Amino acid sequence: MKFNFFHLMPYPYLPDDFDDLEKYPSMSLNYSNANFDPARGVQLYHRYLDELEHADAVGFDGIVVNEHHQSGYGMMPSPNIMAAALARRTSNSSILVLGNAIPIRGNPLRVAEEVAMLDHLTNGRLVSGFVRGIGWEHFAHSVSPAESRSRFNEAFDLIRKAWTTPGPFQWVGEHYEYRYVNVWPRPLQSPHPPIAVPGAGSPETMRWVAENRFLYVSVYAPTAVVKTWFDGYRGAAADIGYEVEREKIALAVPVFIGEDERSAHEEARRHVEWLFHKGLRQSAEMVFPPGYMSPPALRGLLKANLKPYPELSYSELVEQGYVIVGGPESVRNRIGELRDELGFGQMMTMLAIGDMPAELVRRNTDLFANEVVPHFRTALATAG
Amino acid sequence: MTDVVEGPAVARELAAGSGSISYFRSGSGHPLLFLHAAGGAGVWGPFHERLSGSADVIAPDHPGWGGSDDLPELRGVDDLVYHYLDVLDRLELDRVDLVGASFGGWLAAELAVHSPERFRSLVLLGPVGLRIPGHLVADLFLMTPPQLVAALYHDPALVERILSVAPGTDQIVATYRELGSLARFGWRPFLNNPRLESRLHRISMPARVIAAGEDRIVPRVHCERYAAGIPDAELVVVDDCGHALYGERPDAVAEAVVTFLSERAGGRS
Repeated sequence: MKFNFFHLMPYPYLPDDFDDLEKYPSMSLNYSNANFDPARGVQLYHRYLDELEHADAVGFDGIVVNEHHQSGYGMMPSPNIMAAALARRTSNSSILVLGNAIPIRGNPLRVAEEVAMLDHLTNGRLVSGFVRGIGWEHFAHSVSPAESRSRFNEAFDLIRKAWTTPGPFQWVGEHYEYRYVNVWPRPLQSPHPPIAVPGAGSPETMRWVAENRFLYVSVYAPTAVVKTWFDGYRGAAADIGYEVEREKIALAVPVFIGEDERSAHEEARRHVEWLFHKGLRQSAEMVFPPGYMSPPALRGLLKANLKPYPELSYSELVEQGYVIVGGPESVRNRIGELRDELGFGQMMTMLAIGDMPAELVRRNTDLFANEVVPHFRTALATAG
Repeated sequence: MTDVVEGPAVARELAAGSGSISYFRSGSGHPLLFLHAAGGAGVWGPFHERLSGSADVIAPDHPGWGGSDDLPELRGVDDLVYHYLDVLDRLELDRVDLVGASFGGWLAAELAVHSPERFRSLVLLGPVGLRIPGHLVADLFLMTPPQLVAALYHDPALVERILSVAPGTDQIVATYRELGSLARFGWRPFLNNPRLESRLHRISMPARVIAAGEDRIVPRVHCERYAAGIPDAELVVVDDCGHALYGERPDAVAEAVVTFLSERAGGRS
């Protein structure tokens, strides 16, 4: 099993009256950047990069950065900049960019170029993820959600071709037109860095990821729902005669380890609630604006009848599997159970949850590295 | 939100592009093409009924709305202009009175700019379509359904009545599809064509711009700029009415249309 340390880089310093829903309907899009204090921002960026570097030092297989826009939920509008900052300060872990939100970028070739550069800076430790971007980010960057999927598809095809086909060549598509595609540098890894794609149940995505044998990564959801996604991915792969290796399936989940069961919940609760009740406070219109999903996909979502994150109580979040919280032994056991139930071979563990202070993130990271990771290394060695 | 009138108007089908569109046609008189707002497809309501008393009303659903297919090959408002010119050709309508509301008002203005000879008169109801920095059309894509209803209608009792009935899954999905179509045609530039205002001088037929007295979606200045830019245009205001216009005060809005047509369009056909 591979363990990756995932960071969102949230901005934890909220106004005291942030629970006023009328005043603060969300932490994204319309939450004024007057609330961003640059003096704190500079400390946060360096603290968060330290945390990622520490994860590399204590043996995580990968460290993970991602992309969000106009939001206190995640402060990485450009994940590539963070990956570059980490490239020469780490030496062992893979660096996973999960991912570049290619539909909302105006120029996919710029992404192809930056990721190819990162592949060299990391000496081939790069995993390149691609995402569509959340609905609100289409408002933020003024890209029609109705074009989101076709822009994603075309941008991806262009980027992959730019990495793998000797240039110059011409590209004339629905959204992009280039007379000269000839990116320097080409990536270091051959034919290109491994690709990771998050999925939230879309059958189209499952099929596409299976056809290309990419890494499929879950997003926040109950265990029972994630199981249907992973089963769907395996099913889509089986349909084309491909048996998915476990390592091509990754569970993304916040994990909190305390000294024991009881103190873990006491300590974790406020930070988990920060993430789901404040960080993920957003209207349906922000997440799924018109055109972002097909009408049948919306029908499926309505049928699933999932509660919005802020309406999930702490115990529901724990019981339904949105988060894993406990003492070292119970977390270890839970991960083992989930691995057997869901069949994943990688985890994207979010060990810096919401507004957790630096000391707690450090303790959580070290406990995970010392108390959980070795157990699965041994299990693998024994099994192998 | 208008009540459906049981009447002679039934939805018909017309082949178009990669599929077909749905349209109503009823009434007698000079042909009148009515282009609906972002909401209000698939309905023959009191407003349509009233117009059909003195006109041959053709009311199609836009591609991606109501009973019409998506016609995904249509990607911009310019495509919709050619779509409606095709519709007129297919129905063998040489010269019609043209009435459009909100998003349909934008389409109507583009059609009148493109082919002024095809239209005997033009009526725009709370039209979008102009780019006016500092006075952008409200971001209805970001509104929750209750916010949208409250913004569309002026009468609080009407808002309350509409919101008292929770929409079913089919209704939610249908609305999502239609707003998705609106996003396809109008997310960026946001419900406007930056070039349109400088082309309004081409609209040679008599025109009336009807503004809602209490429009919380489209600032009044949009109607004023249309009325100023179209050579033979007048601006009238329907009081105590929100942006929904023919959905909120169908009789008053129909009256404002019919009066104009009889005064300005009738004698010149």
